[in-house]
Amino acid sequence: MGLREYVIRRSIYMFLLVVAVVCFNFFLFRLPTLVLDVSPVDLMISEELRRNLTREALQGLYQRFGLVPDPDIFDWIYMFWRYLVNMFTGNFGLSFISQQPVIDELMSRLPNTLLLMGTSSIVSIILGIWTGVKVAADPGSRKDVSAVTLALFIYSLPIFWLGMMLLMVFAFYVPNMTGGLIGFPLGGTISYELWVSAKTDPLGALYIAGDILHHLFLPMIALGVGGYGGYFLYMRNNLIDVMTEDYILTARAKGLDENQVLYKHGLKNAMLPMVTIIAMTFGFLINGATLTETVFNWYGLGRYIFDSLFVLDYPVVQAIFMIIAITAILANFVADLLYGVLDPRIKYG
Amino acid sequence: MSDSKSSSWKDSNWYVSLTGFWKEYRKHKIGILGIIVLFLFVGMAFAAPWLATHDPAPGKKVAPSFLAPEWMAVFDPEGVLTDEYMPDPQLTNEPTFRTFGNSSKFSYDHFTGAGNDGRVNMTWEHKAGDRMNWAPPNPMSQYPDSEDFVIFMQNFTWPFEGLPSDVNITFTYSVSLTGTFATEENSGLMFKTYIWLIDSSGDWQRVYRSFPPYSSEFQTRKIDLNFFDLNNAWGGMVEDDGVQEDPTDELTVAVGLAPTDNFRYHLGETPSLNYTGSVTLTVEEVSLVAYGDYFGVLGTTDKGADAWSQLVYGSRISLTIGILATALSTAVGVIVGLTAGYFGGKTDEILMRVVDFLLVIPGLPLMMVLAAFLGPTIENIIVVIAILGWTGTSRLIRSQVMAEKNKAYVESARAIGASDTYIIFRHILPNVTPILFADITLGVVAAILSESGLAFLGLTDPNEPSWGRMLADAQGTGGFSNGAWWVVVFPGLMITILSLAFTFVGHTLDQVLNPRLRER
Repeated sequence: MGLREYVIRRSIYMFLLVVAVVCFNFFLFRLPTLVLDVSPVDLMISEELRRNLTREALQGLYQRFGLVPDPDIFDWIYMFWRYLVNMFTGNFGLSFISQQPVIDELMSRLPNTLLLMGTSSIVSIILGIWTGVKVAADPGSRKDVSAVTLALFIYSLPIFWLGMMLLMVFAFYVPNMTGGLIGFPLGGTISYELWVSAKTDPLGALYIAGDILHHLFLPMIALGVGGYGGYFLYMRNNLIDVMTEDYILTARAKGLDENQVLYKHGLKNAMLPMVTIIAMTFGFLINGATLTETVFNWYGLGRYIFDSLFVLDYPVVQAIFMIIAITAILANFVADLLYGVLDPRIKYG
Repeated sequence: MSDSKSSSWKDSNWYVSLTGFWKEYRKHKIGILGIIVLFLFVGMAFAAPWLATHDPAPGKKVAPSFLAPEWMAVFDPEGVLTDEYMPDPQLTNEPTFRTFGNSSKFSYDHFTGAGNDGRVNMTWEHKAGDRMNWAPPNPMSQYPDSEDFVIFMQNFTWPFEGLPSDVNITFTYSVSLTGTFATEENSGLMFKTYIWLIDSSGDWQRVYRSFPPYSSEFQTRKIDLNFFDLNNAWGGMVEDDGVQEDPTDELTVAVGLAPTDNFRYHLGETPSLNYTGSVTLTVEEVSLVAYGDYFGVLGTTDKGADAWSQLVYGSRISLTIGILATALSTAVGVIVGLTAGYFGGKTDEILMRVVDFLLVIPGLPLMMVLAAFLGPTIENIIVVIAILGWTGTSRLIRSQVMAEKNKAYVESARAIGASDTYIIFRHILPNVTPILFADITLGVVAAILSESGLAFLGLTDPNEPSWGRMLADAQGTGGFSNGAWWVVVFPGLMITILSLAFTFVGHTLDQVLNPRLRER
């Protein structure tokens, strides 16, 4: 089977998976309505207001959000159909809470999440690969054992707690002790005062960039450290595996020096599965990090899921779920293709 | 099986040679460490009722908010210590009595009650028409309405140059009535029991007044002093710019019984002309706990609950959820993996598509959604974590089974007519089990971390203490902004240490049992 056929088959399968996710979302987020008979409109307006509204006004309110009061089975089918059409035409509807289009709400948060997740992933990937290679050259050494222990420690660390500790030390105690000279902000993405004053400043853009980096640093470190353990262990184990292969023995036998064997022959082959993992990571980037974003009060998608969930704002949550699913599926696909391109031994089938 | 190393335990089934396994396992220091720590945590979970010093309910206030752990008082010699300050709260010895006004109306005595606790009786007798001395009406007065009353007193010394952060007085008493007092409906309004704090300048600060109904059974009142009472009573003893208002650091706690204004005139009647009888106040306990800046083993939380007790009980939640959720997800994962791997074809296809589906749904958000919708009870949290946890196990088992099922011994078992179930459970499962152990222990780590994450987001049983919830409380109420680093550090440390112990054990099991890594 050729590449073309493989791509077509995978595309059909991916489409079916997206359809499955979309259908699943519909029922998942309407569970409270289906089981508990709670409509989002009930949460939006008080019981008193509801009684005082005219029939038409109430009807209009329901219609505005694509809902039906006291739905029967036909209403459900109608709502499901409308939902399907909307999802596949990219119309995610209005947020119940902010009453703004969901897509606008998501777009305003997406850059923050991508910035945070992107930088922290890059930090942990680079650190993981670098230290993994250093250590794999000499497995079982003191350096190796302590690095593995450290990685296991990071693996069992709750990242949100690490974030809280970083905040406590570098955003509270250090600024307190140095009189506010050194230190990081307690939360948020950008400071409003600086943003306002920077607008009139010729060097404003620089200030804003600096301020964003200032806010970004602690959450980036927390997430970067959190991801590091996994990449390190994966890289190390892969490379140790590869180093037992016959071609490494051959390379050594023909008298290449150890560095060349490690980097030219070992690392290149050990990077293959790593590429898959990295591609998958980038697929889940927009997933955000709900816990870390909550700790650092970061204006991102992860925290938005959490905030929307508790007010039954399901247009937002279902849109995020669908986007995450699509990117994850695509990333999976890209990873598989990439693997084939990088490793000529792989045949599609 | 292999021929040359047939004596080695590695080539036999894992359960045949537990000693061999142990010999291999104990070479790994971190594995041993992990097991020891695990035992400590399990012991803590079982011994929680004995280890905990207070009620572990997160909303149960036992002291002011954000008090520091007691051991931190070492660094602060001036700090106020939390303690019982009454010299004799159980009234074992006779206290000092004093009557005011017409002393012939009052009598008092001290006796030993049940359980060798001391008790104090104070009796007010009244004959119809007896003359009473009434104080001029003054709503701001700290004294009783009547100038005739009786008190008993205890003194204590306040050695600190600082106010207590909070004071609780526990007062256990009963009231027995005779004569008209026992028969009249409104007799409870005719007298009151008071508690005063009297400083060495002679200022009285009334901190408690009793209200009817009264009972001859003992009842306990817990009196939480408000800030003004506390400030008035203690303020004079604290040096301000080198000046101390009160001459000494002595404070007197007085408990009294006195007639009220209602006895003079009540609803158009004059009870003092009609009543004949007696009121006896029996006091069993008067204790005064002054809270300092320090409390308990680990201080208090934002709600004034004891952090140590919550921390101890939190181990139960983490262990229960971690182990049960993993047991559930492993069971599902093994069954799915065995079925998919052994039967292959359509079954495999369908099951693996379900796994694919679950892998593209974002994990933590889905757990949040399910936990929020199902209600965050412990059972639901277990189920929710298990729903997402089994996919990895099933993939692992499936790949192992696929490798295993084409081996000769399975062929031969099938040739002699063994059923599928028999082959799966008797031949294949024992051979894929070793690889499962590491997966299980690492699954527990993931479950513990998920649980604490969900609890951090508020998705936890509201009445149960949990480490994630303690962190959430600390975060939500600005724990460290109040300087209370201990509410942030210790719960997180517990999560880390427990999951680190499981990680160490899992890593070691992986090293020992995973055939891929064995020869290293």
